Amino acid sequence: MAFLEHLLHPQYLDLFYFSALGVLFSCLISFLPALHIYNVIGIFLLVILKFEATMAPMQLISLCIGMIVGYSILNTVPATYFGPGDESLSYYILPSADWLAKGRGYESIILTGVGALGGIIMLAIMAPLFLLFLPGLKTITSPHMFWIIGAVISYMVLSEWPKGISQSDSCWANFFEGWKFLGVGLITFFLSGLLGFIVMAKTMVPVDFAFQSITPVFVGLFAIPWLITNIINIGSIPKQHESPSMELDWELVVRGTFGGFLGGFFAAYVPIVTAGVGGLMAGHATAQRDGRLFVMSYGTCKTVYYVGSFLLFFIPGLSLTRGGLAWIVTPVVTVLTMKEYVLFVGLMLFSAGLAFLMLMPFTRLCIRMVEKFPYHWVSVIALILVVPGVYSFTGWGGMAIMTVATGIGLLPVMFQARRMNLMGVLLLPVCLNMAGYGNDVLRFLGLI
Amino acid sequence: MKGFTHFISGIAVASFFPQAVHMASQEQSFILCLGGIFGIMPDTLDFKFARYFHKSDFEIRPDPANLDARIIAEGVAQAINKAIKEGRGTVQLHTMQLASNRWRSYTLGFDSASSEVVVEIGPEVDTGQIPFEGTELKDPARASARVKVDCEFFQQFDKKSQIAIMTGPCFEFVKRETGKVEIVFLPWHRTWSHSFTLGLLIALIVGLFTWFMVPEGPNPELYSVPRWLLYPLIILFGSMVHIIEDSTGFMGNNLFYPFTKDRTNGLGLMSAAEAIPNFLFVWTSIIAIMYNLDRFRWAPEATPPGIENPVTFFTWFYLLPLAVMAYFFFKGKKEKAAKKEAPGKVDFDAQTSVERETDASVI
Repeated sequence: MAFLEHLLHPQYLDLFYFSALGVLFSCLISFLPALHIYNVIGIFLLVILKFEATMAPMQLISLCIGMIVGYSILNTVPATYFGPGDESLSYYILPSADWLAKGRGYESIILTGVGALGGIIMLAIMAPLFLLFLPGLKTITSPHMFWIIGAVISYMVLSEWPKGISQSDSCWANFFEGWKFLGVGLITFFLSGLLGFIVMAKTMVPVDFAFQSITPVFVGLFAIPWLITNIINIGSIPKQHESPSMELDWELVVRGTFGGFLGGFFAAYVPIVTAGVGGLMAGHATAQRDGRLFVMSYGTCKTVYYVGSFLLFFIPGLSLTRGGLAWIVTPVVTVLTMKEYVLFVGLMLFSAGLAFLMLMPFTRLCIRMVEKFPYHWVSVIALILVVPGVYSFTGWGGMAIMTVATGIGLLPVMFQARRMNLMGVLLLPVCLNMAGYGNDVLRFLGLI
Repeated sequence: MKGFTHFISGIAVASFFPQAVHMASQEQSFILCLGGIFGIMPDTLDFKFARYFHKSDFEIRPDPANLDARIIAEGVAQAINKAIKEGRGTVQLHTMQLASNRWRSYTLGFDSASSEVVVEIGPEVDTGQIPFEGTELKDPARASARVKVDCEFFQQFDKKSQIAIMTGPCFEFVKRETGKVEIVFLPWHRTWSHSFTLGLLIALIVGLFTWFMVPEGPNPELYSVPRWLLYPLIILFGSMVHIIEDSTGFMGNNLFYPFTKDRTNGLGLMSAAEAIPNFLFVWTSIIAIMYNLDRFRWAPEATPPGIENPVTFFTWFYLLPLAVMAYFFFKGKKEKAAKKEAPGKVDFDAQTSVERETDASVI
């Protein structure tokens, strides 16, 4: 009761207004083709911060909560129909594209939405428990974070299995056919890691937009290859069925939410690990095989990753800055008390409810769009918007980085290897830097 | 078990060495990852290497343009007949890819009651194994066939194998002392790679190198195991834990290859594809890692512990989840048993426990 009384006090009602506004903005952000959320929010906040004098810090944070919660729930819709913007999304998009091709895109999105809502509820339930066990977890894991990321990398590399279907009489021909996919996966991982080192050591992006230095990398690695694939492969998508009801049982919801929460929390807690990587590991840990379970679990995973990493920042006295948004709001936030934490949870639940209500009309709108405009042209337009967009923020330097990244990003697409290997761009340099070997690598590469 | 289960169990085993935990926290060493890498290594060796170099006596490549179940069944029967005469025979069945996302499916079964090899040509399917309507074979004489062999055979399962996408399965037929032929699924899997002997051999080789190359680290008086020995021990125990975990399933391992020729059956306590057993091992490993990282923290007298009361920690974070998992596991088993007992509900076409354990998507 005290919690509700606190939340519903008139002095906080403006925060709900800003959260609702954030959810509405997140709709627009979700529509921006193939861009990473944190970059978009970064630009957005640059504009918003001009109103700093008229906005209290908590109002700005409420806006951010609305945006990140709304984005984490609604981004599935344009990502399904127009292409994913980052690795966390592309992990989901592969099975989702399969559903889309069968006219079941709507069903896939709603299942993801249910999973996302489950994730938010789990976060709210766990919020008081975080206060109890996260300080201990932080004490235990802090000196070990670098090898935990190293273990994630090792597992990612080792858990990709051969896909070859060669039926040759020669053992070696079959071996090379199978290893072609694995080899491309390894090459992709190390090339993207190398690119990560170069971008982090010598950014070619203008100083004014240094906070956007990773944008051309992500656009090149994930967005453009996806759009190119769409343009080459897909002429149109079949008529999308909007099912009036959905077959769901509690076991599916509980299993999906539980597995997704584990992956999302792991991704939120461990630096650099994304929802895609966390989802893969949690999916394997809980032996997921059902397609519906995967889609729902993914919804939970990405929401817990995006929102959870921001929530961790608000745990009083813990100073856990995880995820881009937490870094973006750091200059605005001065004091974090239990009051802000409780407000965060309340605003998160409110935003999630609002975003979920918007999910169905938003999906229908997207379906109308892809039915009206040829799918092929949607991707062409997205590509036309993305390239000048990157140029306007990052200049020719950014374009050069984007071109190289696109080349690397096309490798897994052409050879059907895991796109997750592209996360080497962050995992490899950050892991080695945290372990203290980063400068040795840079020296070896002649970058310092 | 899933690859991730083996991987994290390997790390958990490595975390029981205080020196390894100290090396990680004080010297930025990745030594704990070594346990994980060797935890998943046996499956890596099988699915990335061994499968390609296993030669079968017979290879069956059905012709999609001239489909005939009898040709396939006779090919399998030939391998069984070879086993009757020579003791062993192997057959590799290949899939039929028709287009990038279109395959012709077929099933292979062994009817031990009538000593017949049973083959049925199925519909065309996509890579998700969803059938295309109206693609079943029209001619019943070619769509299914039963071929009798001159011996009795036995196997760990009596269900059909579905051969549809990617790579088809391989079977070995082994004549036992009783005169019966045993049907062994995927003879190249869980043999030499899943043996104690290989783990020991790799550990010995690595130990030889580390003995020469790894100097004693700081504060050797704190540890009972010298640093050079740490590496081979982590490798050995990492691969051992994989073998032990696999032994809880149905398929088993060839524990002392080359001294033993065949796989011994697993304990059959749980299937590799089951969610709860996998998660039980994963959660146990996570709890062990957390506890070990905390109790082996550097300078414990100067650093506050992350786990203040181990009893409370184990009660809330291990015993309670364990009880929940046990409840759902046994509830599921009960429901499965009840389904089995219900008449007319036998799922003859479903994957068997053994098949599920060897499905690459499972590991």
